[in-house]
Amino acid sequence: MNMKQTHIELPSYLDQSDVVRERFERLKKRPVILNVRGLGKQFDSTQGPVTALRGIDFDVHRREFVCVIGPSGCGKSTLIRILAGLETHTEGEVLLDRKPVSGPGPDRGMVFQGYTLFPWLTVKKNVMFGLEVSGRGGLPEEEALQWIELVGLSKFVNAYPHQLSGGMKQRVAIARALANQPRILLMDEPFGALDAQTRARMQTYLMEIWKNIDVTILFITHDLDEAVFLADRILVLKANPGEVQEVIEVPVPHPRTPDQLLSPEFLATRARLEELIHPPQDEKTGLSEDHLNMVRMVPVDDEVADVY
Amino acid sequence: MSSQPWFAVRKELAPRRRLVLGILSFVIPLAIWSLVSYVPFIWHPDVRITDPGAVSYFQKGMLIDHDIFERESKKVEAKGEAKPHGTPANPIYLPAPHEVAKAMYTAFTTPPQRRGEKWLHQSLGNSISVIALGFFISSLIGVPLGILAGTYDALSRLNEPFIEFFRYLPAPAFGALAVAVLGINEAPKIAIIFIGTFFQQVLVVSNTTRKLDPALLEAAVTLGAKRMSLLFKVVIPGVIVDLYKDMRILLGWAWTYLIVAEMIGASSGITWFITQQARYKNFPNVYAAIIMIGIIGLSTDLFLAWLGRRIFPWQRGAAA
Repeated sequence: MNMKQTHIELPSYLDQSDVVRERFERLKKRPVILNVRGLGKQFDSTQGPVTALRGIDFDVHRREFVCVIGPSGCGKSTLIRILAGLETHTEGEVLLDRKPVSGPGPDRGMVFQGYTLFPWLTVKKNVMFGLEVSGRGGLPEEEALQWIELVGLSKFVNAYPHQLSGGMKQRVAIARALANQPRILLMDEPFGALDAQTRARMQTYLMEIWKNIDVTILFITHDLDEAVFLADRILVLKANPGEVQEVIEVPVPHPRTPDQLLSPEFLATRARLEELIHPPQDEKTGLSEDHLNMVRMVPVDDEVADVY
Repeated sequence: MSSQPWFAVRKELAPRRRLVLGILSFVIPLAIWSLVSYVPFIWHPDVRITDPGAVSYFQKGMLIDHDIFERESKKVEAKGEAKPHGTPANPIYLPAPHEVAKAMYTAFTTPPQRRGEKWLHQSLGNSISVIALGFFISSLIGVPLGILAGTYDALSRLNEPFIEFFRYLPAPAFGALAVAVLGINEAPKIAIIFIGTFFQQVLVVSNTTRKLDPALLEAAVTLGAKRMSLLFKVVIPGVIVDLYKDMRILLGWAWTYLIVAEMIGASSGITWFITQQARYKNFPNVYAAIIMIGIIGLSTDLFLAWLGRRIFPWQRGAAA
């Protein structure tokens, strides 16, 4: 595997085709929905204060799709929870439409990794929940049905969550968050619990939804392919403390299709992410992730002496 | 037939097997009782006299201890007089199953011994109303208080330490006090059921409320739910199924306080019936009344379980 990859000459992930470059120029002229300025989070633990996040700066433009990726423990979940208002930050500020936010609110929708549909409500009532509690005018039921249709679950409006598969539950969760018409949709590894096939399908669905409605998305993932496939830009974090390592403009042109997974731009971006997130092992530790220090435990004269 | 073993750790048995075992759980105790009652050489410490013979104080139908019977029998034999005869019998306090089964019916048809005393169905009705009232009043205050304490830490800190203390005070200890304050009729009995239920109820309900998945609350606030909508549209519906189960268990506890409660002040209800029948040595009726309490309790619970499945359709299919 490694041998082969070195033979293929990949372009630099920084090279952008004209189409892509022009698109990014247009994108950056769009109004900024979310400003994050010098955001930091410290908390006290038994071993003294721990810095979970430090000096996080970035903007998200209208209808942009931003992915946040990083090694485990880099605080990406903390970041999105701060943006959602579920946790407090200790430094910096978060501006939504140039106004500071405090506490959770319906202007920032959230889709969680775990299943958070209300088990006592039908699919329709789940989607209507936000419309009802926020007391917005209009016809909550009609609106809810439209959102359910958008995620292709019209046949299941009266089903309860326990009757749905994992992928369907997450589609309802997306519809429920979108029904509030949030300024930004925050997604915290929403497909993390799904199997690979369902996951790929969900990514395509999400792309479709994002293309067709006015929504800005900030998406957390630890899956490199998912990040490259979905994102306009990828915010790469590093751990201890959680800081922005690089903001990558994904050179893969739109519309995205699963065929692009093997295109040179895609592979180049993916290789760069790999480099940032799984840097070559430290010489000092003498440990390598690829090889365990193993002693052969099968006799040489065994009937099946090796696996080849 | 499946080849699944009967004893597999935490594996559910096939429905057929579960049914068989469920029936057996009743059949086995009944079989033991029948064995002890009907097989003469098992236990049977007494002798029922069929012919008193020459023993002066023996009477026909009398129950006498086996050893005494032997001794008296030897005595008269030595004197060359007529021997007494009798069959092995169990003590009067252990009637046979068929006697109790008959009593289940006759207890209802036997008129009260004295005028002004109650029929069995009236006594039972009395007990049920005491339980229902005590439990209802307790729930009316205990459930909302428990939900609030489980939702708001401030209320939990304010209530629970005192309630933790109070729940160790045995409800019957308040009997004399309840009579002094509330008189000798129904009120002190209801108060005992209340005291026995309420404090446990608040703690159980608040604990169940705290078990609500916090992710649901987080989802709700990101959808715009605020204080009241969070409480009424997320917390309460989120825990109601578990609360309902708790209430079924608590109702069972309330029954255990019934007998004590009914002995306070003027004895009443099913307890009065039981003590009265025991006094007349009418033990089949005593057993019948005790079994009736069991039947009422179990059938109420089964009914409530069935009702729960109807009113909470979303738990169907999920672990019931």
